[in-house]
Amino acid sequence: MDRVVFESVRKIFRHRPALFNWLGRERRGETVALTNVSFAAARAEVLILLGPNGSGKTTALKLLSTMLLPDAGSVRVGGFDTRRDAGRVRREVGIAIATERSFFPRLSARENLEFFAALDEVSRPDRAQRIQNVLRDTGLEEQADTLVMKFSSGMYQRLGIARALVKRPSVLLLDEPTRSLDAATTAHFWATIRTLARQETTVLLATHNFAEAAAVADRLLLLHRGELLADRPVNDGESAEALRSFYFRMTGEIDEKVVIGSS
Amino acid sequence: MLMPSTLDKLYAILRRDLLTAIRHRSGFVVMLVGIFTELAAFYFLSRAIGPGFRPDGVEYFPFLLVGTGVYTFFVMSAQAFLSSVQESQQTGTLEVLMTTSTAPAELVILSSISAFAGNLVNLLVYLLAGVTVFRAAIHANLLSCLAVLIFSLAIALALGIAAATLQVAFQKGSALLWLLGSGLWFLSGTMFPIQSLPRPLELLARAVPLTYAIDGMRRALLEGQSIMAMAPTLALLAGFALVLLPLALAALSLSLRRARQNGTLSFY
Repeated sequence: MDRVVFESVRKIFRHRPALFNWLGRERRGETVALTNVSFAAARAEVLILLGPNGSGKTTALKLLSTMLLPDAGSVRVGGFDTRRDAGRVRREVGIAIATERSFFPRLSARENLEFFAALDEVSRPDRAQRIQNVLRDTGLEEQADTLVMKFSSGMYQRLGIARALVKRPSVLLLDEPTRSLDAATTAHFWATIRTLARQETTVLLATHNFAEAAAVADRLLLLHRGELLADRPVNDGESAEALRSFYFRMTGEIDEKVVIGSS
Repeated sequence: MLMPSTLDKLYAILRRDLLTAIRHRSGFVVMLVGIFTELAAFYFLSRAIGPGFRPDGVEYFPFLLVGTGVYTFFVMSAQAFLSSVQESQQTGTLEVLMTTSTAPAELVILSSISAFAGNLVNLLVYLLAGVTVFRAAIHANLLSCLAVLIFSLAIALALGIAAATLQVAFQKGSALLWLLGSGLWFLSGTMFPIQSLPRPLELLARAVPLTYAIDGMRRALLEGQSIMAMAPTLALLAGFALVLLPLALAALSLSLRRARQNGTLSFY
């Protein structure tokens, strides 16, 4: 059985300007984030969500995490519907979103993880060891007891990944997880993703990084303006360049790298 | 009975809030200075008015001490809870908190208990300072005090959750606090008996739960009235709590669902 199922999902954000905003230019309108999107992900599969800004990648992840609810269609995780069984879905899912500062600034990295682990019902006897493990896996051992208000953006990002991992979710959702990471940490992170997949975790990862997609993906979803343009496997050894040319061919966007190279 | 995991979560939230509070280095000192300045002002005000003014048959300073203490507890607790919701919207923690295994309603109640616990400490320090430093005369019936406090806490919790609901739904939780801060203080008998108000305003004051919380605490703490003597007031407080708390929770649940539908959970 598929662990993650998106079935004919539509999500629209409606903008309602403030009642007395006569001076501003904001107008009533709507943004179609996802239109009739369907896909599924199996146990132990790493699925990459590619697409330009505003294509609906983050919305898809937020729908899976229950942060958002679909306007139409259904989203299911582990057989549970995000509308009807949001609580059960939340037990299955861990998410690291691109917002870097989603922590309590006057708590240390370890204290933040302890707090979220308690809310995620990680048992007390396991908690300290699990936190130590994720701090090690994300390279934050030395900064474990530093207040996070002193963190750089890369450290925030690593802590976000650590928070998502500490509950050992069966479905891991990652939104541009390596955006602020250095090369060595990124390589280590990719290895961690493959290890998690071997341990039966389903991973959905939104990225703009073709090297990342080539390094970790089993399958690729290409989103463009809220529509699913492609859903295809990534072959063993398929290069970042091959994925790049596929992306630009499918989206119809101009690849500046090719333009600069040919001029 | 509370589940072990719920107690574990409550401990985690209390610890987070305590650590955050003590790491604001000057916060505790500022709180103490504020309490003593306020008490000194009320003490000298009551001396200026003179011993002849005995509202509800008690000296004016203890009357003010309990009235302002309970009123401040209500407003500051709701404010503290609302601030934590606003901060978590601004920092992005609210969205992440809503993806944990803890149900939103449970999370909200536990967070508000933490906010209220901090202000309960403030209230106790305030009353203790009033009694020990400024010699306010009290004749406390501790059981009655506890009963009033428990029901008042439930009502204050409902107000805090209502403010959080307005914040999540319309990003305007502070509007309720403004109403509490500026409109209700003179309707709830904080500084003078509500019988001094014109008849229509007195009737309005009798519909405000805070009026009964303040009146009940005065009778329990200053007059030492027994639970039996205070039964009608306690029944009213219990009635308010039983109606307001489920209503506030239902409204919050609805507003959270609406925010998840509209994608406005982190709007502020």
